[in-house]
Amino acid sequence: MSEAIEAEQTFADKFPEEARIVRAALLSSFFALALGAIFGIIQTLHRTDVARIIPSTDYYTVLTAHGVFMVISFTIFFLVGLFTWAVVRSLDRPLLNTKITWTWYGLMAAGMTMTGVSILAGFVDSIDMSADVLFTFYAPLQAHPMFYAGLAVFIVGSWIAGADFFRTWLAWKREHPDERIPLQTFMVLTTMAMWYIASSAVAASVLIFLLPWSLGLIDQVNPTLTRTLFWFFGHPVVYFWLMPAYLLWYTVLPKIAGGRLFSDPLARVVFVLFLLLSTPVGIHHQYLDPGIAEGFKFISMTNTMFLLLPSLLTAFTVVASVEYGARQRGGSGLLGWLTDLPWRDPAFTGMMLAGLMFAAGGFSGMVNAGMNINYMIHNTIWVPGHFHLTVGTAVALTFMAATYWLWPQISNKPIYSRPIGLFQVVLWFIGMALMSNAMHAQGIMGVPRRTAEPEYSGFDYPTMFGGFEELNIQIAIGGTLLFVSTVLFIGNLVLTMGNPKVSGLAESLPPALSGPDDAPRVLDSLRLWVGIALTLVVLAYALPLAAIINRGGLLGPGVGTYPVWLVSTLDALAGAVTPLVGAVGDAAASLAEVVR
Amino acid sequence: MGQNETAHAPTDDVSGETEEFDPIGTLTLIAIYFVILVLSWVYIYYIEFLGRDLIVVG
Amino acid sequence: MHIHAYEKIWLAASVLLILFLLGSVTYGAVGPGVAMVSDTEPTIDPGALDEDERFSEPRVEQVGENEYAAYVVARQFGFQPDPIVVPANSTVTFYVTSADVIHGFEVAGTNLNTMVVPGEVSEITVKTDEPAEYGLICNEYCGAGHHVMEGKVNVVSQAEFESSGGDGE
Repeated sequence: MSEAIEAEQTFADKFPEEARIVRAALLSSFFALALGAIFGIIQTLHRTDVARIIPSTDYYTVLTAHGVFMVISFTIFFLVGLFTWAVVRSLDRPLLNTKITWTWYGLMAAGMTMTGVSILAGFVDSIDMSADVLFTFYAPLQAHPMFYAGLAVFIVGSWIAGADFFRTWLAWKREHPDERIPLQTFMVLTTMAMWYIASSAVAASVLIFLLPWSLGLIDQVNPTLTRTLFWFFGHPVVYFWLMPAYLLWYTVLPKIAGGRLFSDPLARVVFVLFLLLSTPVGIHHQYLDPGIAEGFKFISMTNTMFLLLPSLLTAFTVVASVEYGARQRGGSGLLGWLTDLPWRDPAFTGMMLAGLMFAAGGFSGMVNAGMNINYMIHNTIWVPGHFHLTVGTAVALTFMAATYWLWPQISNKPIYSRPIGLFQVVLWFIGMALMSNAMHAQGIMGVPRRTAEPEYSGFDYPTMFGGFEELNIQIAIGGTLLFVSTVLFIGNLVLTMGNPKVSGLAESLPPALSGPDDAPRVLDSLRLWVGIALTLVVLAYALPLAAIINRGGLLGPGVGTYPVWLVSTLDALAGAVTPLVGAVGDAAASLAEVVR
Repeated sequence: MGQNETAHAPTDDVSGETEEFDPIGTLTLIAIYFVILVLSWVYIYYIEFLGRDLIVVG
Repeated sequence: MHIHAYEKIWLAASVLLILFLLGSVTYGAVGPGVAMVSDTEPTIDPGALDEDERFSEPRVEQVGENEYAAYVVARQFGFQPDPIVVPANSTVTFYVTSADVIHGFEVAGTNLNTMVVPGEVSEITVKTDEPAEYGLICNEYCGAGHHVMEGKVNVVSQAEFESSGGDGE
């Protein structure tokens, strides 16, 4: 290991083919981010009644597109790109067979294209296709079959990606029989193991129930069952978004701060805890569901609350690593070291602001996890207020900030403008602070999430932290700043891609203060942890799922089918809204006939 | 150290050269965070939630 | 495995925080008696609500001394009855079901909030206080007209409730 030679080599120099794959995945991710941002700004201005450029019935197409493009394509494409980089870099060996790698990338891209087309077709009346079912696609609302098929293809692609990472690690292990799993690879493998467990449920739900149902092969499904299977996947998926950010906070942020990771063993403990606890908690999204016993909800809450532990530990370890960096740079005093950090570096400042927002999101997350307090905030705009702090900032801002550091490593091209990058990450923070704060406040007032027109004709919201309209203005301003920030990010990256290649951009990552040899060997025993994780999942879900099937049957207690993808039906529904006020029952009954 | 430092992390470099580092600033920051969390929770749960109309009793 | 003393302190504080949160929720359940929507009601055929004794005529009726039951149907895109009229200073149990897709049943600004799933009946009991008018909204996306799905819950004095016929219509 000659430092002189290696320091000159970037990832792109050492692994050009892998670097190409990482760039492809990241660009797919940012393409989705750009689309998601366009739908985000349309949605924000519509909801707050600042500018309504689409009919309110199309709002749900916009909302579905924003949700799916942001939390499926943007996050997961970034994840597979980052993980490819992390595995290859930390194992210091190429992937086994890049044909397989391009295969999973192709499957994921094809699947997302299918799903995306089925959603966007909802804007075009002449195409008899739509998927206005939102990111959660709760039956018996039904999307076009291509929506579900695309999701299935995308998930299969992500499974092959995981297999690619595991196979590369196994090959490395044969070459290095007695060595500890490098930290970044350990993080990738535990995260992918969690993903296999979590996504199995939604894959089953899609392949066994929703896809056959949308093709007309089965008449009906059990809405509580498909909903429960969704949340079996729907909570761990938030950690799937978050783990790449954690990987960056643990392994890249300390280096940028001028220090090194505080504790390698604790980082491993944290990832093991996420593998164990991420999945047996999904029922906390169903606290207010009928048909699920209170006891199951309480068990889910207990698991969920303990899931706070790895995040609280992370807060300490990451901040301590940054403090170490500051002190290496000459920082002193109880808190004076905070001024000795590289705040002009967009990668550093972006990740720190993302972490700060995550701390705030920790509070609203505690409320979401609290069982009975869900009566106050369930399905209010408090909930999107919360996850715009977590996935919308802790994850999204970390990804953008890290790109300022990572992109030169995988392309040999320097960032076009770091000052614009710095401005961009700060703008995101300010925009999100405004938007998310106002969303939380409106949520406490009872303003619902996921609606085109949150103002109602029959009543006014109680006035608390500012009135409903004032808070709407905050949301609109915040959303606009976020859109501008995204445009700056994408623009900066596009200009970066136009830069000529240079040499001398290579940066290495230092080892932890307390290294892996301090960690008990058992931490690296992936089989053991996967076994325990599966056991916990069975304990948490076997009885609730049995009870749900026992109550409603596998295919539901006679629930109908409500396709959102027959355009004429949609128009009929929308047109029927006004006369409904007087004669809800009759109108809806005849509409139901039309639908069937 | 190259790109694969964690794979070959030499122990002497890791534990030998660095004396014990006490992250007192971190402890201070996180204590402040802890206090904010507890106070916010007390407000939202005991005052905002339990103080509302239409208390659910069953 | 070496863990720094400060980190041990933080770990202990974190566990205490978690126990405090769990304790709060448990207190809410046993002290003020906040119970969760649960699996207390049997399933129902959402296609045959008009043959159901409770939901063919959505209404509010007295079921005991100062105790009332409100049978509510949610469907695309409204609630029945509307408004839902209930007496002040009483105990009201809402039985809410859906005739079609998943809906929400949220009385804005209060703790009365539940999912409404077709095939299931959400049972939720509240104590009413002084007379007041509340907005009732569907807070789960239910189709293209979701944003117009609203109703009212009017808490009226006992006298007014009785003079209105007491059926909530």
